[in-house]
Amino acid sequence: MKKGAADNLIKGTAIERHREWRGLRDTTYDYLQWCRLWGILIKWAASHPVQNVKAVFRYRWMFSYLTVPSFFDRICSGQRGAGLRGARNNLNYLASDVTGTLTTIFSADMHLHPGSKRAEELNKRIICLDELLPALLGKGFPDCKTILFQEYPMYLPSLINQHSPVHYIEQSEIYGLPADVCPLPSFEAGLAIEDDFPKIGCCMLTSNMPCDGSIMTSMIQDRRIGLPSQVLNVPLRWKEDEVQDYAVQEILSAIGFLEEQTGLKYDWDALKQACEVWNEQNKAKFEKWEMNRTEIPPHTGSTVWLYRIFEHQAVCGDPKALANDRKVNRILARQVAAGKCPKTIRHRAIIWNTPANNYANFNNWLLDCWGIESVCEMIDLHGAELIDTSTRESMLRGLANMYQTSTMRAHTKGGSEVMIDALWEKYEEYDADMILMFDQISCKGVGAINGLFEEGAQRRGIPMCRVRQDLMDPTSISRREMRGDVNVFMQAVMNETPLDLSLVDFDDDESW
Amino acid sequence: MKDLKHIHLYEALLEQTANDLVRAEKDAGGIAVGYTCYYIPEVLLNCGKAFSVRLRAPKTGSLDISQYYMSSFICGYTRALFERAFEGGMNFLDFYASSDTCQQMVRVVENIRDLGLIDNPRFGWGIIDAPLKISPHGNKLYIEQVREHLLRPLAENYGVDVSDEAIRAAVREHNELCAIFEEISELRKADNPRITPREFHILSLVSYASPTARILPYLRETLEDLRAREADPVSHWRARVVVVGSELDDYDFSEILENCRCYIAADRYCFGAYPGRQQIPLRNDEPALDQVCRWYLETNQCPRFMSQDKIKGRRELIRDLAREYRADGVVIEQAKFCDFWGYERTLNTQVLQEEYGLPTQGIDREYVVRGSGQLATRIQAFVESIEFKKMQKDHPDHDSTAEEGTGR
Repeated sequence: MKKGAADNLIKGTAIERHREWRGLRDTTYDYLQWCRLWGILIKWAASHPVQNVKAVFRYRWMFSYLTVPSFFDRICSGQRGAGLRGARNNLNYLASDVTGTLTTIFSADMHLHPGSKRAEELNKRIICLDELLPALLGKGFPDCKTILFQEYPMYLPSLINQHSPVHYIEQSEIYGLPADVCPLPSFEAGLAIEDDFPKIGCCMLTSNMPCDGSIMTSMIQDRRIGLPSQVLNVPLRWKEDEVQDYAVQEILSAIGFLEEQTGLKYDWDALKQACEVWNEQNKAKFEKWEMNRTEIPPHTGSTVWLYRIFEHQAVCGDPKALANDRKVNRILARQVAAGKCPKTIRHRAIIWNTPANNYANFNNWLLDCWGIESVCEMIDLHGAELIDTSTRESMLRGLANMYQTSTMRAHTKGGSEVMIDALWEKYEEYDADMILMFDQISCKGVGAINGLFEEGAQRRGIPMCRVRQDLMDPTSISRREMRGDVNVFMQAVMNETPLDLSLVDFDDDESW
Repeated sequence: MKDLKHIHLYEALLEQTANDLVRAEKDAGGIAVGYTCYYIPEVLLNCGKAFSVRLRAPKTGSLDISQYYMSSFICGYTRALFERAFEGGMNFLDFYASSDTCQQMVRVVENIRDLGLIDNPRFGWGIIDAPLKISPHGNKLYIEQVREHLLRPLAENYGVDVSDEAIRAAVREHNELCAIFEEISELRKADNPRITPREFHILSLVSYASPTARILPYLRETLEDLRAREADPVSHWRARVVVVGSELDDYDFSEILENCRCYIAADRYCFGAYPGRQQIPLRNDEPALDQVCRWYLETNQCPRFMSQDKIKGRRELIRDLAREYRADGVVIEQAKFCDFWGYERTLNTQVLQEEYGLPTQGIDREYVVRGSGQLATRIQAFVESIEFKKMQKDHPDHDSTAEEGTGR
């Protein structure tokens, strides 16, 4: 009997017994990119060895970063051809940027360097932003480093290691927070309670992004972090013209606050340059979407949405990210032009609602086990309007729009019609034949329109599979349970047999 | 004490959303405007022939239908409203004034709209976006949103007079109502008050859930009755508390506290006295709409307000209420699955205790609390802890551990 992909996994941890064989060319490419990743990590570790070792011992979440090579392998599993190449390039760019930022964070961290004058000086030039505020605003302070405060201790670890949020969520609950709140803000609150945020920066821009839980966790964080802070209130009904003036005023007010805190004058030319780079990054994204509308969608899955989120939030306006985009697009275009599809695709699915961070390689499993190709994902579609840089006012309006349509927010805010109507539009646009709807149990804004999705799909005769998950809390719903929801649907509703039987049910509860 | 005048009428009025007074006002040509949140300025919904009804779902039982449409992790209040609308209990509504301030709440009106649940050909809705901090541009946004999404449709589609004069007239009537509550609230300061927590809760609720013009005459008479009322000869209250928290329209909650002999000296919850039953000061040199909107924004105590001044202000208001009404402690109640109050309760339960020195009990509760033994047990324990603290304070030399050791 032919061995399946899951036969190569160690029970429980799901660590591969040996590297995946993808054919000579793809295995070689994958291996070389894996070596490139090790090069990036070793260079980073060796640059500040003492500081980095101290960080690993000081911060529980830092342990997750030690498992990055395994994480990259996991979210590249099963990939071939241009998809594999795009994924590896995106991930290695990400590794390169994140290690650089970690160096900045740890060099300035007063927890690691108590009383250090050098760290103090560095902090004067660090602006902290709520992680769901795109960093583009900070480009107007070219002498400062803008850091998404929760991105590195919370968001990325939650993807890399599914167990990383558990301890912090527990701390929040011990503190008294109800267990039904979204794990993302709960994780952030837990970090604050545990005093596990690096002590960096000269000020903090908080926000109401993306949801009610995030609004409230800021209250706990503010108390613990103790930086001078201001709220950037991003309007919710973002489709309405009447809120745009307010959105612009809020950005101007935030700039004023940052000028006051840094003692620097805002550089509008620098912002303009960054906005123009961001526009090019967005255009590169449009090309990718266009390619995924073809019969050979070349680049799908978590390495796409993870990169998109990172690009939109952290490296918007960064020429290095743009160079990576262009390189990846050339690779993808070649495969589309050649008309080759290296994978078996049975179904084209629209993936709606926020994905589960604790199961980032879920898309890989969908494709390998059932032949479900995630041609379009809601989380990948945000901030997709170009910024008009012709005048300062138009640029501010464009920036305000980008903020209002930021990660998660572009669909979950602005009225239920925004999220519902866009789903049916994308279904047609991408010639899909099924919808996979994440039922993120603690997301109340989306949970409260469950019925509208159900009835809409029924009316249109669209098969819709609901997959329960809890964003980043594997103790609520495990990866295995998520797979179970799909298995039942594919067998009972779609009357399908799996492409790889070994993947239908396997134990990976202990996996990172 | 003898029964309060009209109390049985009020109880009857609270038995259903479209109560007798609401129906009478509708029959007289009134435009019923439902709302759920302090972000919607109540007084503006009482302009001209419009009248406000703060939405409730009394006698809520099964929530099966709303569970299908809205999932089971949504706050009971929003699910109950949806369920009531689904059952046809909201058909009296002409207009639903909502705010995109709590996402669960705004989903109610969106579901109602998309599923066409209100069987009323005139039914319309408006949803405002409102700021979560105070600023001049935030005030401007708020005023524009109220004007565009609430007042304009009321004027254009229902012929409601929303002129400056009409707003001022509505404020005058509102202020008369509030003056009654201010006087009644004063009675709660007494050692042996003439009004019980349950009664006050009922009065407060009925004032929100009925047309102001029709409930006012009854409330005037109730106030007269209270002025003349004699308190029981001996106070049986063991502790006085301020109740703070999220939407609370089930007066059985106050009854549970009352049965534990815990007196609610002041309240700061949605549907309660603070904020909402204070007179709105108006000047003549500025449009009434601007002043009213500013008032509602500045007095708003929703935990959604993120700025430090508002966060601190919320705690200071509780402290001030506790001082003014001589409360021994604070009960922070949170409707289950309410994200805003989930965090606010968690943090403030600790902050009020540690930084403000106020004994504080945090509790979460279902929408309907009737018969909640768990709630009664927790309140009972809190009351005992307050009594114990008082004993310690009154007898600092008393060695309680020694007493415990003797088995007393």
